Amino acid sequence: LTWIFLPQGYLPANMERRKLTLQRKREEYFGFIQQYYDSRNEEHHQDTYRQIHIDIPRTNPLIPLFQQPLVQEIFERILFIWAIRHPASGYVQGINDLVTPFFVVFLSEYVEEDVENFDVANLSQDVLRSIEADSFWCMSKLLDGIQDNYTFAQPGIQKKVKALEELVSRIDEQVHNHFRKYEVEYLQFAFRWMNNLLMRELPLRCTIRLWDTYQSEPEGFSHFHLYVCAAFLIKWRKEILDEEDFQGLLMLLQNLPTIHWGNEEIGLLLAEAYRLKYMFADAPNHYRR
Amino acid sequence: AQKAMPGTSLEGIRPTYIYKVVLLGSTSVGKSSLAYRYVKNDFKESLPTVGCSFFTQTLNLEVATLKFEIWDTAGQEKYHSVCHLYYRGAHAALLVYDIANKETLNRAKLWLRDLEKEFLPDEIVIALVGNKVDLAAEREVTTEEGEEFARTKGLLFMETSAKSNHQVNDIFMAVAQELLQREQGKTSAPSPRGRSTVDLRESRARTGCC
Repeated sequence: LTWIFLPQGYLPANMERRKLTLQRKREEYFGFIQQYYDSRNEEHHQDTYRQIHIDIPRTNPLIPLFQQPLVQEIFERILFIWAIRHPASGYVQGINDLVTPFFVVFLSEYVEEDVENFDVANLSQDVLRSIEADSFWCMSKLLDGIQDNYTFAQPGIQKKVKALEELVSRIDEQVHNHFRKYEVEYLQFAFRWMNNLLMRELPLRCTIRLWDTYQSEPEGFSHFHLYVCAAFLIKWRKEILDEEDFQGLLMLLQNLPTIHWGNEEIGLLLAEAYRLKYMFADAPNHYRR
Repeated sequence: AQKAMPGTSLEGIRPTYIYKVVLLGSTSVGKSSLAYRYVKNDFKESLPTVGCSFFTQTLNLEVATLKFEIWDTAGQEKYHSVCHLYYRGAHAALLVYDIANKETLNRAKLWLRDLEKEFLPDEIVIALVGNKVDLAAEREVTTEEGEEFARTKGLLFMETSAKSNHQVNDIFMAVAQELLQREQGKTSAPSPRGRSTVDLRESRARTGCC
């Protein structure tokens, strides 16, 4: 797996320099921990820490890996340091989910068997520290591109939901009109798609596959995601058109049956998203970013 | 005599009402768990709610069928600007706090203030709900304190536990009864103000006969 090299700008291409940079980045992260982590109980950071502390056990509650205290402590440190270094947004529920794919991918490099049931106490302190620091930097890099999703009033999300609506109105008028007819608003279901980058709609393995593409795509998380959301919505057009009231539509849209999805479905989804992207890339008036 | 004729046209005139109910309150007081218990009669550890999630429940009462559209909101402050969009046009609100965390009652009081800015008193049924009575040993808010506050503000009040299934149905039922009572008050003496609010979805909330 090459994820650590992918987030653009995290590591230089030259092998020797890459190793040094990695080393330096890890030290830098643990420098932050040393400098700031004790402040979590001070008054001005108390609310942030409290919220993170409440949310961590509720992150991936069904996966045993994330119920281990060692793992929960790692997540708490990553999120707290990120939050206080980004006061414009601070910690927002949903960001906790975004650490998960990075952590799992970096952990998988050391795990032969089923990662979701792995006991991290089997790993050395050094390895755990590397996984923690790398997860932190990759998550930071990801969030740099979508920070306006999490600042006051979440303008990035509002904008993207609006863009999704516009896109869908052009690519599938029937679905769009169906929503209008039953007074379904895009924000009512797509807020979460943007806020959590579809993580709540897909099994973890699918999110990892999806993000793999996002990382190699320029503006993957901030822009290409929109086309993926549109493709994802249209994928369910038959089910959507079969529902004939507001309640049925909302229940469907909030619980889309992806539980058995794997690489194949994500592959098809991505192919459709690329098709949409190219269709609209040359027609800026059809769809403004 | 009306009740004695099931399945006839009289069934047909039993009205159906759709009501929008919002759950508001601090983070981790059990809003999602209350909704889940009410709708699915089960308890599970839930993920922090992002934005809002939606549930429905249908109540077949003697005089009417009630369809609840339940909007379960995220507790974190950050989401307030978004949640605002959801509670517009609500017919009822459950203000939830955690009886083992005093601060959450204070937050519920702030939520009430927001609602009072948005709605006239007869436009919305508000219930104060002290959840997590299963944590009796860690209680920080007495029953009397919640009750007293609800009384002074004219709110329905109940203490519940989504975990041990204590009074969850009851609080929703109390809200249903209050909504119905107000509905009947309206039909017998139509208010001149009517329902002229601008919410687009308002129309769906009126009587929808089969």
